[in-house]
Amino acid sequence: MPVIEYKCPNCGSGMVFDANTGALSCQSCGRQDHIESISDPLTNVVFSEEDRTREYHCNSCGAVIMTEPETSATNCTFCGSAVVLGDRLAGKLAPAQIIPFSISKEQAMEAFRKWCRKGLLTPSGFMTANRVQSITGVYVPFWLYDLKSDVEVHGRATKVRIYRLGDYEYTETKHYSIYRDIHLEYVKVPIDASEKMNDELMDKLEPFPYSKLEQFKTPYLAGYIAEKYSYTDSQLLPRAKDKIRSFIDSYISSTVTGYSTVSYTDVDIDTRAKHAEYVLLPVWMVNYSYNKKNYIFAMNGQTGKVVGRPPISKLKVTAWFTGISGAAFLVQQLISLIIQGGGS
Amino acid sequence: MRRARILLASLLFTVMIVTGALSWATEARADEKQLIFDDAGLLTTEEYEELNQLANERSAERETDIMILTVDGPDAYDVMRMTQDFYDEYAPGYDQPHGNTAILMVDMYHREFYVAGFKKAEEYVNNQRADEIRDHITPDMANGDYKLAFQKYIEDVYEYMGITPEPDMGTDSNSGMGSGTSSGTSSGTGSGGGNSSSSGRGGGSGSAYSPSREADDSIFNNIWVQIGISVVIGGVVVGLMLYNAGGRVTVNGRTYENSSVSGVRARRDQYLHTTTTKRKIERNNNSGGGGFGGGGGGRTSGGHSHSGSRGSF
Repeated sequence: MPVIEYKCPNCGSGMVFDANTGALSCQSCGRQDHIESISDPLTNVVFSEEDRTREYHCNSCGAVIMTEPETSATNCTFCGSAVVLGDRLAGKLAPAQIIPFSISKEQAMEAFRKWCRKGLLTPSGFMTANRVQSITGVYVPFWLYDLKSDVEVHGRATKVRIYRLGDYEYTETKHYSIYRDIHLEYVKVPIDASEKMNDELMDKLEPFPYSKLEQFKTPYLAGYIAEKYSYTDSQLLPRAKDKIRSFIDSYISSTVTGYSTVSYTDVDIDTRAKHAEYVLLPVWMVNYSYNKKNYIFAMNGQTGKVVGRPPISKLKVTAWFTGISGAAFLVQQLISLIIQGGGS
Repeated sequence: MRRARILLASLLFTVMIVTGALSWATEARADEKQLIFDDAGLLTTEEYEELNQLANERSAERETDIMILTVDGPDAYDVMRMTQDFYDEYAPGYDQPHGNTAILMVDMYHREFYVAGFKKAEEYVNNQRADEIRDHITPDMANGDYKLAFQKYIEDVYEYMGITPEPDMGTDSNSGMGSGTSSGTSSGTGSGGGNSSSSGRGGGSGSAYSPSREADDSIFNNIWVQIGISVVIGGVVVGLMLYNAGGRVTVNGRTYENSSVSGVRARRDQYLHTTTTKRKIERNNNSGGGGFGGGGGGRTSGGHSHSGSRGSF
């Protein structure tokens, strides 16, 4: 049976994951169940091929659950019950770990309002944050890569000394050949594996607190949207390599110090994935309509960091520009006045 | 309502700056006089106008006419005598005939030039300082970059006119040699305009002024430079604000690095060889001067004494 629902043993209502308490809670009678104590129905179920192709029916109302092919947890469109689509979380699609939400919907809304008010260049109408279309808690699929890089660098470097002797200025350049053999390991480099999510947005959401990683259990998804990965770990490995390339470059230059100039003739980076882990990370997606346009923001479901490009008020940009330029101009006038006053 | 107020305020501000700058500029243009006589035709019309305006501005601020004369053709005679005769006959001066004047006389026929100071400029642009100016502009003169050379000359004179000179030691500026104070002596071919010439002045230690203040003085007096700097500051700050509006990446290599196993396994820094280049420091009075007593000043046939330095290019 691929559709999983959590019913309250006391009153029979649907139970959802509560970000504040970290427990599965019943909205009707307030019952709280620790997730560790619940046996995960997925662990001993094998889904047949028939299960996979079948439609999903809500256990509560029997309606067909409308989902996109990536969705692994959602709410029933008709009765609103939280449903988890078990076959999209089993076998190869089973997440190893999860960071549960610690920011509830209300807190997320509040944090988003606060963020809007801080926007220095956003139009005033936007800052009141009163046109939020929807705020959705999404468990976004990520691959966490453990990467191992062997780096070999050859280059030339110079030390320049300028000194004066008599009427001549001498420029003495000492040339060096440099070589570095570096071993680097990066752990849990996150790459978002969802096709729908904007990569740039997801990169800016980092860092996620890995100390909050829990072993994956389906009750964490109850009441939230979850997705399964659209790309496998080997498909995304090039992105992971690309992401750590700048880290490697800055590490290399940190090992070559004390020279006037450095140029690398040969940089050989061999990066291999030691291990990749499939995890779900918590993200609040905020859909905001302003001036007939839709804006999408994402909030880290643990740290509350908000990213996304807000609308820009040309008026405020002009005002800031004029203000800063004007202030700079006045300061310079003041300086020149002081200098002239002191000089004459 | 609020929107209108902000707009109005920024508009007013812009108008204020622009009108201020314009009135300042037109004021300067109104009483512009000819300070550059380019008989040799080294400058284009635009260059001439730009330099003449610059010379007028700088002259007014220092109450000293900063003049440039160029001659060509076989009629040209000794640059120093031509300078003297010009001063006697034309009687230049900022506020009176035979007044404060600095002259750069360029003889294209003999490829020589002479920097001279009269009256107040004789004191402020003394022989030693005239040498410094000559050293500063010689490379550009030799390269045929006359506009740049003239510009440097104007700015140098302007700066020196603002600094009370030390009593003339009577020795040439090479006195600093061997003392090891290489910091203040790299004048000549330095790249930055007035600043390098001023920091290159003299032996350095006993200076009564600080070079940085002097540099501020020349930069901050130019209203267009000030506006330019202001606009750049405003642009950069607002640009950064715009760039960061969508959130910043706050992770770096340290975030994911497993530092216990990461590190340098092998390193080799091998010395290969040394190359040395040497460059003559062009600051000597006796080198290119043509032997007029170290290129110093003199007295015109009209009886006006002056300072000066001559050089060839």
